[in-house]
Amino acid sequence: MLEAVRLTKSYSSLPAVQELSFTLRPGQVLGCLGPNGSGKSTTVKMLTGLLEPTRGVVQFDGHNIRDDLASYRARLGYVPEEAHLYPYLTGWEYLEMIGTLRGMPRRNIELKIDSLLQLFSLHPARHGTIGTYSKGMRQRVLLIAAIMHDPEIFIFDEPLSGLDVTSALIFKNLVQALGRSGKLVFYCSHVLEVVEKVCTDVLILRKGVVIAHDTVANVGQILGQSLENTFLHLVDDVDTTRVARDIVDVMRAA
Amino acid sequence: MSLLTDPIRHHWNYYKERPFGRLVRLFVERIFRGGGDSDTEGLDLGIGLVLTLLAMPGGFVSILLFDKYGSLLQWLRGQKNVDTLLIAFPDEYFFIVLSMTVTGAIAVWRWDSIFPDRRDYMNLVHLPIATRTVFLANLVAVLFLVGLVAMDVNAASCVLFPMVVSASQSHFLFFVKFAAVHALGVVLSSVFVFFAVFCVLGLLMAVLPPQTFRRASAYVRGVVVVYLVALLCTSFMVPELLRRAKGPAPAWTFLMPSCWFVGLCQLLRGRANQALTEVAMLCLPGFFLVVAVALCMYAIGYRKYFVRIAEMTEGAATTHRWQKSQVGVLLDHLVLKSPMQKACFRFVGKTLQRSETHRLVMTGVAGLALVLASQALMNAYEGGRPAREAALSADALSIPFIITFLLIVGLRLVFEIPVDLQANWIFQLTVDADRQESEPLARKVILVSVLPWIAAITFGVYSRLEGGAVAVLHTVVVVVWTVLLTNIMLVRFRKIPFTCSMPVFKQHSIVILIAFCFGFLIYVGSTAEFEASALTEPLRMLELLPVAAMAWYIPHHLKGSTIDLEKRLIYEESAARTVELLRLSE
Repeated sequence: MLEAVRLTKSYSSLPAVQELSFTLRPGQVLGCLGPNGSGKSTTVKMLTGLLEPTRGVVQFDGHNIRDDLASYRARLGYVPEEAHLYPYLTGWEYLEMIGTLRGMPRRNIELKIDSLLQLFSLHPARHGTIGTYSKGMRQRVLLIAAIMHDPEIFIFDEPLSGLDVTSALIFKNLVQALGRSGKLVFYCSHVLEVVEKVCTDVLILRKGVVIAHDTVANVGQILGQSLENTFLHLVDDVDTTRVARDIVDVMRAA
Repeated sequence: MSLLTDPIRHHWNYYKERPFGRLVRLFVERIFRGGGDSDTEGLDLGIGLVLTLLAMPGGFVSILLFDKYGSLLQWLRGQKNVDTLLIAFPDEYFFIVLSMTVTGAIAVWRWDSIFPDRRDYMNLVHLPIATRTVFLANLVAVLFLVGLVAMDVNAASCVLFPMVVSASQSHFLFFVKFAAVHALGVVLSSVFVFFAVFCVLGLLMAVLPPQTFRRASAYVRGVVVVYLVALLCTSFMVPELLRRAKGPAPAWTFLMPSCWFVGLCQLLRGRANQALTEVAMLCLPGFFLVVAVALCMYAIGYRKYFVRIAEMTEGAATTHRWQKSQVGVLLDHLVLKSPMQKACFRFVGKTLQRSETHRLVMTGVAGLALVLASQALMNAYEGGRPAREAALSADALSIPFIITFLLIVGLRLVFEIPVDLQANWIFQLTVDADRQESEPLARKVILVSVLPWIAAITFGVYSRLEGGAVAVLHTVVVVVWTVLLTNIMLVRFRKIPFTCSMPVFKQHSIVILIAFCFGFLIYVGSTAEFEASALTEPLRMLELLPVAAMAWYIPHHLKGSTIDLEKRLIYEESAARTVELLRLSE
């Protein structure tokens, strides 16, 4: 079980996340929603151990993850928001490096990379350098890197960015399958429909504070509306139709 | 005054904000800051810093020459009736090759950013701008860059060197004439070499298919860097050969543009002998030819690459066969102990092979090592000594020490140059920062890449020339010295190579630089001198043991006395702050 206990992170006294608490149990897929600057990325970085909280702790199976960060990270699969990869390495070489860094047996590494590259339709491009890959191809490399060591916890930060329709569908089904097989999944996204479809629970952040945390069905029922309308109501009290009309007016102004 | 400057400023502001002026600014910034096709490699120095660094060598060398030209110092040394122009000749030649080397290095370094790239294409082609406007704007930016670099590299030497030379002269006119001729020589040589590099690479670009060019370009640039280093090293010998030349110019002078430009300077001063006059005649035709060819190559390259970027597939994957390296498997079993070392060793190797910046720096270092080693070899054979005798001279014995010193220092230096810092998250996520494996990793990388071949060649050559005993002794000294130097160079090293931001400039950096120079003299000169006298009496070699023991103990002791916190792996270099905030409010 992964637990965030009163997590707070401040940058030069400015709070990015305040008193964030939630629990993620095996089999649960927790979607994290929020507008830009709501603290999603900071939360993800604290959950992965890349960022130390100013206050509060992240606990895995009752232990503070910072007490033994290495063993926690060995059980973690992470897909970051931006696909920052080494462009001069080939897809195969990059994944081989990740597998070796994670201490996987060599034979296992080769078998898994080969199979996963086939399944993610990257096999023909495996010996091309990442610099020549499209955004979607890079994203698929990141996905393979995150799942190849069979981790217990998955943290996905905008994982569908740049993926084509087929790969996105495969990935959405994969997330649901991971949940069903008892893994812990933390899923950050801007795409409400995807969160609605693949997550069991949802956490909505606004200005670094949790404003809603419940099952997807319950959050929708709060206002008797879809998740999209509930999100807009809770997070941004903005008349989107009016804003769009104003944009057109400004555009057409002489 | 404002009557004159106001219209100029008004026109400048007007043209600066016109589409063409804005494009030129965009391209100038791109050339300085790097292209956009590949991700940035983390060596993004500001324009001001780049210009300052470029101007520094000429300034430093000029200041160091005060000692040579001061009339009081000449008088104290008993030098009377000194022919200032005669003694300035080798220095002028040095300034010309220095200017050519620095400018040539800039052309090689910035080559990838000279042409508009895919990012420019994607941002510009949909705008109502004709491709010829983009072509002309980029050309203006390139010409502006050439002019700026030529002026900047030579600015200090154009003022300081003539001042130093004319220090003992009573006429101001001497200073003016000397400065004008010197400035003409160095600026022309700078512009020449920039366009010459442009010609070589542009020609390849025009002839080869894009994929082949991309692969060949790195090697050709490496060759150009080695040529530039060799050119700088000619300043020790060529001026004397040129001064002594009787009759027509030797054939080799026609192949060395640095001789043309120094010949031009001497011709304009009326001090050229027949050889210098002949080579000076090549100067202007050669200059204009190179500029013309470079511009043609630019036009062809532009047409071939920029205009057709859309036709080139972005995600074209190379499908070369992947071969499992047996050496890699062997290293995994024998040398590399942990998964971190196995993964990072390959990462370091591939970065050194494929990252443009790192490869260029290492090529420059290897070129310098090659040139210095060649000079040592030539000195060893001076006077037609037989091979067996030459091999035991200090010059010949110093060759493996020269090579190992420069390669070890070079590798240590490139480890500090980051590559795609944003991509280091994967190491932060997977490598245990407290396990202190970075130093053993870096040591293994250095020793594996330097030691086996240098030891094999040293042993092979000396066992053939001097027999087994001498070969073993010399090889053992080379191996032990290489290991000890590596240990010293890696004191307090706590980063995975290429994954940490560049170290900040510290006040003691100059001291470190001077220490490297002294280190080179001790490591190379003193060891080779000692070996030359001791190899024939093997027992004397034991005298090296206390030195080796001390060199082993110092880094070992320093490592032991470092607290655990300072051994932790880092991904960001931070400057030591005078005042530390406690951040109690957070």
